[in-house]
Amino acid sequence: MIFSTLEHILTHISFSVVSIVITIHLITLLVDEIVGLYDSSEKGMIATFFCITGLLVTRWIYLGHFPLSDLYESLIFLSWSFSIIHIVPYFKKHKNHLSALTAPSAIFTQGFATSGLLTEMHQSEILVPALQSQWLMMHVSMMVLGYAALLCGSLLSVALLVITFRQDIRILCKNNHFLNKSFSFDEIQYMNKGNNVLQNTSFLSVRNYYRAQFIQQLDHWSYRVISLGFLFLTIGILSGAVWANEAWGSYWNWDPKETWAFITWTIFAIYLHTRTNKNFQVANSAIVASMGFLIIWICYFGVNLLGIGLHSYGSFTFSSNL
Amino acid sequence: MYTLKPSFSKTLFLKSPLLRSSFKPQFFPYTTQISSPCSSTPLSFSISCKLKTSKDGKSSKSLAKKIVLSEGAPAVSEDGAGNGEAQPKPASKGGGGGGGFGGLVKRFPRKVLSLLSNLPLAIGEMFTVAALMALGTAIDQGEAPDFYFQKFPEDNPVLGFFTWRWVLTLGFDHMFSSPIFLGMLALLATSLMACTYTTQIPLVKVARRWNFLHSAEAIRKQEFSESLPKASVQDLGVVLMGAGYEVFLKGPSLYAFKGLAGRFAPIGVHLAMLLIMVGGTLSATGSFRGSVTVPQGLNFVMGDVLSPSGFLSTPTKAFDTEVHVNRFYMDYYDSGEVLQFHTDLSLFDLNGKEVMRKTISVNDPLRFDGITIYQTDWSFSALQIRKDGEGPFNLAMAPLKLNGDKKLFGTFLPVGDSDSPNVKGISMLARDLQSIVLYDKEGKFAGVRRPNSNLPIDIDGTRIVIEDAIGSSGLDLKTDPGVPIVYAGFGALMLTTCISYLSHTQIWALQDGTTVVIGGKTNRAKLEFPDEMNQLLDRVPELVESSLSKQSDAISG
Repeated sequence: MIFSTLEHILTHISFSVVSIVITIHLITLLVDEIVGLYDSSEKGMIATFFCITGLLVTRWIYLGHFPLSDLYESLIFLSWSFSIIHIVPYFKKHKNHLSALTAPSAIFTQGFATSGLLTEMHQSEILVPALQSQWLMMHVSMMVLGYAALLCGSLLSVALLVITFRQDIRILCKNNHFLNKSFSFDEIQYMNKGNNVLQNTSFLSVRNYYRAQFIQQLDHWSYRVISLGFLFLTIGILSGAVWANEAWGSYWNWDPKETWAFITWTIFAIYLHTRTNKNFQVANSAIVASMGFLIIWICYFGVNLLGIGLHSYGSFTFSSNL
Repeated sequence: MYTLKPSFSKTLFLKSPLLRSSFKPQFFPYTTQISSPCSSTPLSFSISCKLKTSKDGKSSKSLAKKIVLSEGAPAVSEDGAGNGEAQPKPASKGGGGGGGFGGLVKRFPRKVLSLLSNLPLAIGEMFTVAALMALGTAIDQGEAPDFYFQKFPEDNPVLGFFTWRWVLTLGFDHMFSSPIFLGMLALLATSLMACTYTTQIPLVKVARRWNFLHSAEAIRKQEFSESLPKASVQDLGVVLMGAGYEVFLKGPSLYAFKGLAGRFAPIGVHLAMLLIMVGGTLSATGSFRGSVTVPQGLNFVMGDVLSPSGFLSTPTKAFDTEVHVNRFYMDYYDSGEVLQFHTDLSLFDLNGKEVMRKTISVNDPLRFDGITIYQTDWSFSALQIRKDGEGPFNLAMAPLKLNGDKKLFGTFLPVGDSDSPNVKGISMLARDLQSIVLYDKEGKFAGVRRPNSNLPIDIDGTRIVIEDAIGSSGLDLKTDPGVPIVYAGFGALMLTTCISYLSHTQIWALQDGTTVVIGGKTNRAKLEFPDEMNQLLDRVPELVESSLSKQSDAISG
């Protein structure tokens, strides 16, 4: 009982700390960048990380196996992965834009995991025969880490897309405005305005420069994080295949979950390939990554919710698949 | 002096004959500087090519084409650094122009090659494969045609056009073995090969060469550039070496690189993918599979169970082995859920000698001479009971399907006159081998008994003792010659994907008086690179005046 109490406490602490962190993020975003606040938010994320780690460890101890056997546990692990993705660059002193994404992602997964939706799954203590293997830890942890990194990377790409398209629309508006002005004003006024326009454009170009730089940074970070996630996903899928060859008799069964993991893998392989060609625009690869974002969710949740195939571990005690 | 700098690799992508002819002369400084043993033959070749190009545009095209055709194929397999990397791309262009019929036949593979190595095509193929797979999970696989008639009716098509005709003619009812899907995979595989051959290998040949840049402008043109006043290039070399770079120094110029494996790795990824595909094909064509449900105590011959999956499947001697199921049992959690399934198997050869014995369970199969036996299923074979002290009788258990997937087995013991038209008796139901639920003649619950408990139960005047519950083990057998190849591919893929994350970094530096001009570029970690460089450059010691003069002496000397 003490374990479940401890687990309860840790869940709530981590959830509330992440909420505070997000509030701090919002404040720094809306008001101004206050260094102290920013620092405290980082500390908050570290606290969250330790809370979730503690949560996983307690669960591990009292269940006797690594807590990755159902959706609830994998969600907790997903939020743990988000927090570790958040923390690693912090310790390496890289300032980046990931933190704005990882914290909300962590809170969403944590919130979803602890919400009433999955309450009846919390207490599942048995591990079906097929899951009793050393491969469980390797396969599922790699998959979930991969999902976390890919989700972060593709979210960065979504952000990039949003910024790029907003910019395009603005420029379009500006151009129209400029044209209207230049036609409607008479010669002298136009000359006078000329200076202003010049100033305006230079101001605009400075802002555009920063924006372009920001887009470049987003693009780069999403590329790096997706490559990392792709690596984890590859290891996860392959270790899963080796495990399947031990447990189910074939390394590839075209099981829905497997297939969707492979689709995810293919989509991100496409993303990585679009990056190799300079002729492809940044936005194109970002669109591919955003598609990947949706596909991860289908792969992670959709297949489980439908409860089809060999990977449906929610509802089973005596399934014919053992 | 302007040397061939690695950014020249970009020109490979620009499909303009003009650019190609313009870079040819640049071979001279490079090949003369670095004496590569293999570069002598390509060198003479490129001279002739250059001379022809400078004459007139019209004839040069055909000439270049001719040279490419005769020389292109060996150039890539050759280890020569000077020529190989330039060849494949021009060759593909040569195919574009008109020519004789003989030329067309010769050119055809190259044309196909360049078409296949086209990146947008490869991306399109990957998208198609992904879409087909998604469709394959959306449409229920392997059902009878009637199922599709109902699910995709003609009078109410999905999305306005998608009916069962589409599903059945395109083979979408068995997507993952349909010709369309397999053909797409094969096309993807050829694209992979073509891309590796025409794009990746040449890229590596460019990257593998280490070369110096001899002009400060060329160095400043790099993605990262910096100049350090009062520094020496030797000190920089030591610092770089300390940071894990391979450093080459020649007079005032320095070249350093790190993470070259990161350039090679994508080729490895492609080759590993091909290896997995080869292994998968072998698995599909050369394996045997079969499944069998054997009651405890019985035996079967492996060859009877295994059926071939493709034309390459050839049975081995091990197929004569007889398998005896000594025992089948389950472990349970305290809550009654199944913990694990075990089957104790003995293998006998033709002479009846036991060659192997192992207790298998889920995740722990038996492997014997290429054949693997998996624990995949179970069933309730029979119930051994004693009725009024007589027996024991074996009652066969029948699987019952009630709503839900859970297993349920039942049997019936007639009581009284078994010849009368409506026989009544005791029903026994079981979900697992642990406990049997008994019902009396009227169908009322009578009690629960565990096998082996020897606790009798009296129902309608009949005393029943449940002696034993005999389970049968569901076994899957397979031989798969593709597994070693696929596993090799898996290993290679994991390794090369990890290495692919590494960034290939190149740094050039030039001593310009007392200043060192440094330039560098990297292919992956572009944003971290300037920080990393600045940290490194901070560590380069500043020279004091006295040693400065020595330094410049040393360089001039």
